[in-house]
Amino acid sequence: MPGSVLVVDDALFMRKMLIDIFSQAGWKVIGEAENGEEAVAIYQQQHPDLVTMDIVMPVMGGIEALKAILQIESQARVVVCSALGQKHLILDAITAGARDFIVKPFQSDQVLEVAERVVGC
Amino acid sequence: MDKEKYRNMYLVEAAEHLQAMSEILLRLDSEPQNHQEIDALFREAHSIKGMAATMEYEETARLAHRLEDDLDLCRKRGSVDTTEIDQLLAGVDLLEALHDDISQGREERSVESYLHTLAPGECSDSPVSPVQPEKEEGRQTDGGEPILVRIDLAETVPVAAPRLLVLLKKCSDFGIVLKSWPSLDQILTDKVDGRLLVQLRPRLTTQDIHVQLAKYSEVEEISFPRPTVNSSLGERPHKSASVRVSTGRLDHLINLTGELITIRYQLENALKQQHLPDLDDGVGQLSRLVKNLHHQVLQVRMVSLRALFSRLSRVVHDLARSSAKTIELQTDGADIEIDRAIVEELVDPLTHMVRNAVDHGFRDKKEGIISLKAWRDRDQVLVQVADDGSGIDPQVIRRIARERGLLSAAQVKTVRDYDLYQLICQPGFSTADTVTGISGRGVGMDVVKTAIEGIGGLVLIDSTPGEGTSITLKLPLSLAIIRVLLIESADVRMAIPITRVIQAVEVSPADIHSSGKQLMVDYQQDFIPLLSLRKILKQPKGTKKESLPLVVTEVMGRRIGLVVDRLIGQQEVFVQHLAPPFDQIPGCSGGTILGDGQVVFLLDLQSLLERRKKGER
Repeated sequence: MPGSVLVVDDALFMRKMLIDIFSQAGWKVIGEAENGEEAVAIYQQQHPDLVTMDIVMPVMGGIEALKAILQIESQARVVVCSALGQKHLILDAITAGARDFIVKPFQSDQVLEVAERVVGC
Repeated sequence: MDKEKYRNMYLVEAAEHLQAMSEILLRLDSEPQNHQEIDALFREAHSIKGMAATMEYEETARLAHRLEDDLDLCRKRGSVDTTEIDQLLAGVDLLEALHDDISQGREERSVESYLHTLAPGECSDSPVSPVQPEKEEGRQTDGGEPILVRIDLAETVPVAAPRLLVLLKKCSDFGIVLKSWPSLDQILTDKVDGRLLVQLRPRLTTQDIHVQLAKYSEVEEISFPRPTVNSSLGERPHKSASVRVSTGRLDHLINLTGELITIRYQLENALKQQHLPDLDDGVGQLSRLVKNLHHQVLQVRMVSLRALFSRLSRVVHDLARSSAKTIELQTDGADIEIDRAIVEELVDPLTHMVRNAVDHGFRDKKEGIISLKAWRDRDQVLVQVADDGSGIDPQVIRRIARERGLLSAAQVKTVRDYDLYQLICQPGFSTADTVTGISGRGVGMDVVKTAIEGIGGLVLIDSTPGEGTSITLKLPLSLAIIRVLLIESADVRMAIPITRVIQAVEVSPADIHSSGKQLMVDYQQDFIPLLSLRKILKQPKGTKKESLPLVVTEVMGRRIGLVVDRLIGQQEVFVQHLAPPFDQIPGCSGGTILGDGQVVFLLDLQSLLERRKKGER
């Protein structure tokens, strides 16, 4: 069942694509952020069901933001997005508490499968 | 600290402490209030804890620490009860498993579940199973048995390690994860191959777990393999690559080497001066030294039977408890020493024999004595397992032997009981009417026989109905260097291991009688059949002689006289395995090179004669 989602990525193109995927599937996109700091601030106010988080971003990176969000809510559902070559970053993120991950480039059904799985449980 | 350097030392020493712990526990079983034993046990656990902690074997240290705590409670109370002994034994088993992990270079297994067992004196309404502490964890879980979950990723999954990490974390939603392959560390360092095996104590049914995992499109296959049962029974003692040698023995070896160097110069001098008496003297001393050196080196390979006996005590203890029998085990001769290679080969056969004794020996009785004895007889070591149970009914064996065609109707009537008992070692022979969980599948004694004969030994069975059964193993002291009897047949020299020879005699033709086709000889008031080695080996017939050289030996429990051309004498030889294709020669178990450079084959009479028998049929 679709819920609310916050999309975090420093590339406008990626944000736009993710927002479209989620919107078309009936998700409520409650906000978007272009770095970790913004993401944490929005999370604090909105408490969305899901956060998709890019790992490599300026100002505050994804893993740092993930940790900050988990400080706010230990049960926060954060899914990281990363490129294929950043395997160790994905591992770090999962160890830090990310629920799942999406590998770029992605297809819409992959994104939705991960999102529904994470929110569904 | 260079851990690798100390690892072997740790392994050897820890093994000694572990063995001591098992031994003490078994003694405590019959004397639960012996303070000194409890104290000693506490110290053993303490030693292991200290060593393991230093080596950073954390699981071992944690477990040893726990045992130490438990024993401290027992020590203060002044006794241990049966349940506690079983629990402590399970703890020692687990320590041994960890020891195995370390020696194999594996990661230590988790001791978490053991640490959840109740400490002594903690109340429990029902006896606590030491290894699976359902009661304790029942609060958090439904208390399921550990299950295995196997997850195979589709080959197309681009990044396997993070996927497996997510799945492994997901598994902790299903229950308590006990262990995984690859481990968390391996996943984090990307040492993965698209598969994940997780051992967990589940909260959910396997169906529910399957539904959850099926949500991952990256997962191609989900299965729940049955865990293999890990029983402590019959597990081999650890084969360790290093040996502890007393400094005394080493000093002796060094002294001998020093003397050898002296002799070498002496011989070189004598040779230079062409001084024969000195040469002769030097060679004499050299042979004395070599003999001594050989003896000392063999000593290094020698180990006592103590570890094996204590393992067997444990087998008897566990079996007796599981079959609700009261069985006292008497051991004697645990200090007898034998080549370590032989001891390793003895583990399985003796475990089997002891199980047989508990199961068959006491089929109709609830209590009795099993005696485990070892003693030296010249160049041989004898190990005997005897019980005072129901014994074997010779009539039953007669019937089965007849039914299975092992004996002819005429043979059934004339065969002696003793010879009859040896038939138990025939493949597929079982007198157990029903198969029990312990033994009685008819695959027992023939395996024992094969194993024992493989190391040049003999199996002798004796039984008296109503009084018990005894099985005796006659074993060589060492595998590599053995005493042989050299013989000659049709100008070919051959060797027979002395363990197989009862006597070498010369008989006059007057002592030979003919019974039908078979020639018999009067040997110690018994007629034994004569067989010609020439005939067996298909060598040309020999000429008649004044007296017949005879090797009296035992084959399949029957004495026979083997006629040879000449008895040469006894000698110690270094036996070497034959390289292919020579290892295919039937009746030949190895070869050796004599002092004059001649290669001599070692005759394996058993297989030679058995083969001949089969050929006759």
